[in-house]
Amino acid sequence: MKRLIESQLSELQQDLDQIRNQVLADLGERDARYIRKIVHLHRSLEVGGRAMMPFGFIPPVFLAATGALGLSKIIENMEIGHNVMHGQYDWMNDPSLNSQTYEWDTACGGDSWRRTHNYEHHTYTNIIGKDRDYGYDLLRLSDDTPWRPAHLFQFTNYLLLSVFFQWGVGLNELDFKRLRNREITLKEKRPFLKEFFRKGGRQAFKDYVFFPLVTFPVAPVVLAGNVSANLMRNLWSSTVIFCGHFTQDAETFTEEECEGESKGHWYLRQLTGSSNFTGSRWVHLLSGHLSYQVEHHIFPDLPAHRYPEISEQVQAVCEKYGIHYNTGSFAKQYSTVLKRIAGYSLPDRLRTRLLPEFSAAPA
Amino acid sequence: MLAQLQASTPLHWLGRQLFNRNDPAAFFDPLLERIDPLLAQQTIRARIVSVTSETADTRTFVLRPANRWQGFRAGQHITLTLDIRGVRHTRTFSLSATPAQWQEHGTVSITVKRIKGGLVTGWMHDCLNVNDTVSVSEAFGEFEAPPVAESALYIVGGSGITPVLSHLETMAADGFHAPITVLYYVRTRQDIIASERLTALRAQWPALTLNIFTTDEAEPNQRLSDQQLDQVPDIAGRRFYLCGPTGLMDQATDLLYRRNVPEHRIQCTRFSTTAVALDSTSLGGTVQFAQSGQQAESLGDASLLDIAEASGLRPKHGCRMGICHQCSCRKTAGTVVNRLTGKTSGNGEEIIQLCVSVPTGTVSIDL
Repeated sequence: MKRLIESQLSELQQDLDQIRNQVLADLGERDARYIRKIVHLHRSLEVGGRAMMPFGFIPPVFLAATGALGLSKIIENMEIGHNVMHGQYDWMNDPSLNSQTYEWDTACGGDSWRRTHNYEHHTYTNIIGKDRDYGYDLLRLSDDTPWRPAHLFQFTNYLLLSVFFQWGVGLNELDFKRLRNREITLKEKRPFLKEFFRKGGRQAFKDYVFFPLVTFPVAPVVLAGNVSANLMRNLWSSTVIFCGHFTQDAETFTEEECEGESKGHWYLRQLTGSSNFTGSRWVHLLSGHLSYQVEHHIFPDLPAHRYPEISEQVQAVCEKYGIHYNTGSFAKQYSTVLKRIAGYSLPDRLRTRLLPEFSAAPA
Repeated sequence: MLAQLQASTPLHWLGRQLFNRNDPAAFFDPLLERIDPLLAQQTIRARIVSVTSETADTRTFVLRPANRWQGFRAGQHITLTLDIRGVRHTRTFSLSATPAQWQEHGTVSITVKRIKGGLVTGWMHDCLNVNDTVSVSEAFGEFEAPPVAESALYIVGGSGITPVLSHLETMAADGFHAPITVLYYVRTRQDIIASERLTALRAQWPALTLNIFTTDEAEPNQRLSDQQLDQVPDIAGRRFYLCGPTGLMDQATDLLYRRNVPEHRIQCTRFSTTAVALDSTSLGGTVQFAQSGQQAESLGDASLLDIAEASGLRPKHGCRMGICHQCSCRKTAGTVVNRLTGKTSGNGEEIIQLCVSVPTGTVSIDL
């Protein structure tokens, strides 16, 4: 990681706080109108998709219905749920957009998400051993984990995780690794599991039991459409999230270097541990503006549609301190993610020869 | 209320499964609102039917609430919820019309005085127009009109006249005979609210005696005094109804107690004016934790999260640096300063982050 002395870190903090305060001072009608417009779009797509689905025995209708429902789930998860639960719209004082009570359309329960994502991932970003989102205890993505032969299959694991992403995210809090190492018992995780089965059960009931059953004669069509819509959301959100922290230049950190860190150091870690990708307005919307992962990680509770507006200012701050602002086209960033997953599945000697760009040990 | 009624029904259970929310009907609000805002289910909406000026700084808004609104008794209040620059605000107002108007026309009225520097009342005067919609609560409050055949004395100040108007018009329409006296205190004659309605009442309802006192004009002795009370006939046998700003209320109760009026014969509706903005250097204060019944004193810039933990509470929290919003919690009253922005909050109900909020004065937290 780029090293800065304490006085630089505190200056970095002031520069970034200033950007943040500018946006905070300007929050208002425009942001409220934006999120309400997105909520309206989500409701139209979901109601439209579900209404069309029973007529999915006509192939073009099936495509339209599945597309609408898939898009509705993507928009609800990425641009509404994720962002609302970060507290981006708490200032509006609208109970429907409240970070602590919002419940989203995915298997992961809101409370579990608020603990593992908002707190753990956003506080301990990319600290190996503290940020479970770094590889989800399933993938080896850096030198910090010693290589084992089982890692040879991790590309398959990655594909499976993407396909069943909502369930993977839902089970993230189970702490599978510590469970396997007998550091914790299943009994301790019982309250979490109860919550997981309640929320996951609710989601499965809705998409795979209720809506197919009420449209009984065409149940297989509706079931197939709902499965496809969920798959569409799983693949897209998994891809977007992997592009956020696992690109080639996204750095990792050790617990020691982050002990008792200042806010400035936390900012620096967010800037160097996250990565963006470029795209059209719709790409940004559908990614919940996680295409601006860098901006999101330094300001997780600013309304996400503001990230494009402050991106230039953030880049200027990065330039001032010589910090690499990690961005590129979607294709470029995603290809480095795939290389990282494949590369670290190999023994170190082989990896350094085949993929020299991943050979440098993280700072 | 509707949500509570529905909470037990199987349909409501199914709604929760399908829409992941405790008010599943509100899932469709964004679509229904485009058709007609009054169809919204999350709150009861009301449409502004007319706006009239009562005085230079007072306006009456006539509202038509959605059909499921359950009506009111004379003297009750509602809360009004509206979005100003994206932020939802809630304030309480007295209903100034009669229940008869609601039954006949389906409309209710609130009479709103513009408070100097007041965000909500100012916005209502400047921006709330005919055909706009706001959210209203069901009516509440115990400021009930006197029972038939009981004589009464009203001591009223400023915009405190609004729930009293509702009482008077209801009693007049019901043909009450017992003498009713109203002592109405205003700064100047221009500040008399609903003077036409008051004059009309006086003309058609012989039981009413209306005395209007102007406290800021020529004669100095127009403020509430014992002599004024002496001139009210048969004062000992009356019930007392007080409505107005805190200063007048305090003085009136004081005078009545000295006349040995028993407490149960006095009905009071106070409204406080907006709190004075606090100096942000005067940090610390009393913190009340409503759910646990705990109370704590704090000095200096201790955050509410620290104070809660020092009181033995274990609120949900995360980063302790204002990032993760795990500790967001409802503040029901009082003002806090945000450590990150240095900004002082409003004194009403809102969501705050415990870990970066420092109390200034007395604060109530829903914890």
